[in-house]
Amino acid sequence: MPAAITDTRHHDAIVIGGGLTGLRAALAANGAGADVAVISKVHPLRSHSVAAQGGINASLNNNKGEGEDSWEAHAYDTVKGSDYLADQDAVSFMCQDAPRAVLEMESWGTTFSRDDEGRIAQRPFGGAGFPRTCYAADRTGHNLIHTLYEKAVQAGIEIFEERFVLSLAMEGGRCRGLVALDIASGEVEAFSSKSTLLATGGYGRIFSRSTNAYINTGDGAALALKAGVPLRDMEFVQFHPTTLFGTSILISEAARGEGGVLTNAVGERFMSRYASKAMELAPRDIVARAIQREIDEGRGQEGGYINLDLRELGREKIMERLPGIRQIAMDFAGIDPISAPIPVQPGQHYSMGGVACDVNCRTALAGLYAAGEAACVSVHGANRLGGNSLLETLVFGKLAGENMAMDSAAASFDDGAAKALANSEQLRLKEIRSTQNRTQTSKLREELNRTMFTDFGIFRTALRMKGGLAIASNLANKGESIGVGDKAKEYNQALIGALEFQNMSCVALPICMSAIAREESRGSHYRTDYPKRDDLRFLKHTHITKRAGEHALTYADVLLDRWPLEERRY
Amino acid sequence: MKLKVARGYSKDASSYQIYEVPEKPGSTILDALLYVHDNQDDTLGFRYSCRGAVCGSCGMLINRVPRLACRTQLASMLLPESRHLVPSISIPEGGFELGREVLIEPLPNLERQKDLMVDMTPFFKAYKAISPFLLEKEGSEHFMPQPTVRELERYTNCVLCAVCFSSCPINGKELDYLGPAALAKLYRFIIDPRDAQRSMRLEKGNSTTGWWGCQFHANCAYVCPKGVTPNYAIAKARKMIRERTVAISKEDS
Ligand SMILES: Cc1cc2nc3c(=O)[nH]c(=O)nc-3n(C[C@H](O)[C@H](O)[C@H](O)COP(=O)(O)OP(=O)(O)OC[C@H]3O[C@@H](n4cnc5c(N)ncnc54)[C@H](O)[C@@H]3O)c2cc1C
Ligand code: SF4
Ligand code: FES
Repeated sequence: MPAAITDTRHHDAIVIGGGLTGLRAALAANGAGADVAVISKVHPLRSHSVAAQGGINASLNNNKGEGEDSWEAHAYDTVKGSDYLADQDAVSFMCQDAPRAVLEMESWGTTFSRDDEGRIAQRPFGGAGFPRTCYAADRTGHNLIHTLYEKAVQAGIEIFEERFVLSLAMEGGRCRGLVALDIASGEVEAFSSKSTLLATGGYGRIFSRSTNAYINTGDGAALALKAGVPLRDMEFVQFHPTTLFGTSILISEAARGEGGVLTNAVGERFMSRYASKAMELAPRDIVARAIQREIDEGRGQEGGYINLDLRELGREKIMERLPGIRQIAMDFAGIDPISAPIPVQPGQHYSMGGVACDVNCRTALAGLYAAGEAACVSVHGANRLGGNSLLETLVFGKLAGENMAMDSAAASFDDGAAKALANSEQLRLKEIRSTQNRTQTSKLREELNRTMFTDFGIFRTALRMKGGLAIASNLANKGESIGVGDKAKEYNQALIGALEFQNMSCVALPICMSAIAREESRGSHYRTDYPKRDDLRFLKHTHITKRAGEHALTYADVLLDRWPLEERRY
Repeated sequence: MKLKVARGYSKDASSYQIYEVPEKPGSTILDALLYVHDNQDDTLGFRYSCRGAVCGSCGMLINRVPRLACRTQLASMLLPESRHLVPSISIPEGGFELGREVLIEPLPNLERQKDLMVDMTPFFKAYKAISPFLLEKEGSEHFMPQPTVRELERYTNCVLCAVCFSSCPINGKELDYLGPAALAKLYRFIIDPRDAQRSMRLEKGNSTTGWWGCQFHANCAYVCPKGVTPNYAIAKARKMIRERTVAISKEDS
């Protein structure tokens, strides 16, 4: 019997996640006078945000030659890109705040790429009517997160690194804190808070062929689900058109924004048949489906890929604007895009769905907030535009931090729940470490990944999805009695892998259920058995809530207060 | 194909364990370690996250050269090195049969926690010591010429992986030496026209734990996975000090 946990750490505001969202939130809460701490399962700089490449959208209007850009134009593109499932109040707020958010990062030290006059350069991106994507070469996420981490160091924000959050503590209808595993020592710790933010990123690793870091296992969605907080629009999973064949490392949309073209095995620029105007710069759902169709109909290259050709750009432009892409192609495929096309295929990329919250980042549980990729506000609806997610992290991260600080002023601590939970979680972990029933986590994970990618991938049908749901449910059950070979307390990464698998398999179920129920095609959710958008029945957000072990599916209205429905053509 | 992996906790002497891994074309050292973890031995400890050489988690000593595991092709580790590191007390030579096995050990100059994981605290302590944040000027206008950005990028590309720190013979001997990454970061702020305290920063490195501790072995530039050239930054900073570069202080005022 392990010793009982009696200590509790206290912070007004606790931010779970050290990515862009979490760091921005912590800075805002700190700035507003709250005592804030960040908890992250990896060092903040190892968060997935660091990998973002192409850029961040803001109507800075630096490309004067191309006409006038405005936040309204940005918002319209976002709404249309979302296939009308985004909430227009949230979109308006984000697009209005975008120039401020980008200029703030610039003044904090981010080295954005510049135009000839020294202004922040902006490039064209998919689904955007104006070149409004600001970038730092093709290392935008890296540059942004290093800047925010630098600011967090300057502000002296307390960061608990390599702590894996296990569950949320609740009492009296409020979130009262959380329980985390200190990966180094193996000790379970109780944290008491007045407000808690889920800034845990996406759930991409539930799928095979994902561009995401290995750590994107949907932990935040799992925490919310366990706490009875609804998940919204989980069926909407973005498949990026161009990921490196073999490793699924992202080849940024910036490659097409700068002029790269897609060609099939017979050398045809096939996008002309799918989006004759926007061509390669149609939104991601459309380009991903086009590529997959070319491959499925036998016009792909041997093995199942097509070519992304940058040769027309020339050496100089590639070296200046896409140095990271070139490096990736050389390191991971042995190809120099200056002289040869890059082999690409679609892969899982982004989680549009997430923890349901309102425009102020508040969830249904008092004291619990969500922002960034972990959340569903919703600004991306059924399909996210490239460059809008980095923007979301900064805009809603800041807002969440401010609201947490404000709400905390009127709230009080209650340690009881976190302490009790810490003791039961400690026993649960001991059980996983000591059970003789050694399930091989990697085998379960691979089966889940494969099932989700084939049955809930780019093209979906009722038949396949129902089969997929049965497999996923079975895997989630197996996950409950998981065991590991590593029996050590300190640095037990096998245990972390097992906990992540439990989270992934329980988050997979809402994805499956929401997708099966949505009998239409919208944005990234494409059903060959229902190929049309059906606004009459499905212009709605899906909500899944888990109570007493049962999942309940409900629908909620979409807020369309400004831009009326249109057909989506590019 | 064999991996020879150093195992153990903290200050214990390493024991070496041999794992057999399949030779798949395109496989990286990280892929091979994950294969071991998934299929043979889930007690093996190593850090990773992005698998795309951007997060800086997976630095380790591979065939006695510090590198990122996710960026190192398994097959390339069976061939002789094209260049050699300047020897240092913390990196002995040899110890493996080239062509038959790949030797994987934790990064030197940092204390081991478990197996291939090291305690990064001293590395981040040096980073924090140089005040790694922009000190804003009043009324910043958000303009900067692209050539300045290009020069800055050489240093902002750093992913803080500590690979240079662990290759540096000076860091191996002098506990207080800030080391290549922190000095490159310091230099990055010196050449940033937006920073309000550039001459103060130049002065910050003006000691034997800073610019003058370097002996230009250039291991850092050789091992850096991101093409950062800390040695170049250090040489430039020394030159600025020698010439008492007034250009900076003029701009600051
Ligand atoms: C390869 C790639 C390129 C991209 N490029 C772009 C782009 O150019 N433009 C754009 O707008 N968007 C881009 N995106 C999307 C964008 O990068 C992400 O949506 C965004 O960075 C998410 O940030 P976040 O802070 O919400 O989450 P993350 O950066 O994923 O951070 C999540 C944090 O939560 C922590 N965490 C998770 N679970 C736990 C737990 N159980 N306990 C403790 N801590 C936990 C993690 O440690 C981490 O610190 C890209 C995405 C990918 C995959
Ligand atoms: S300078 Fe290079 S080797 Fe050193 S920490 Fe930065 S990226 Fe790593
Ligand atoms: S895993 Fe991120 S740098 Fe290797």
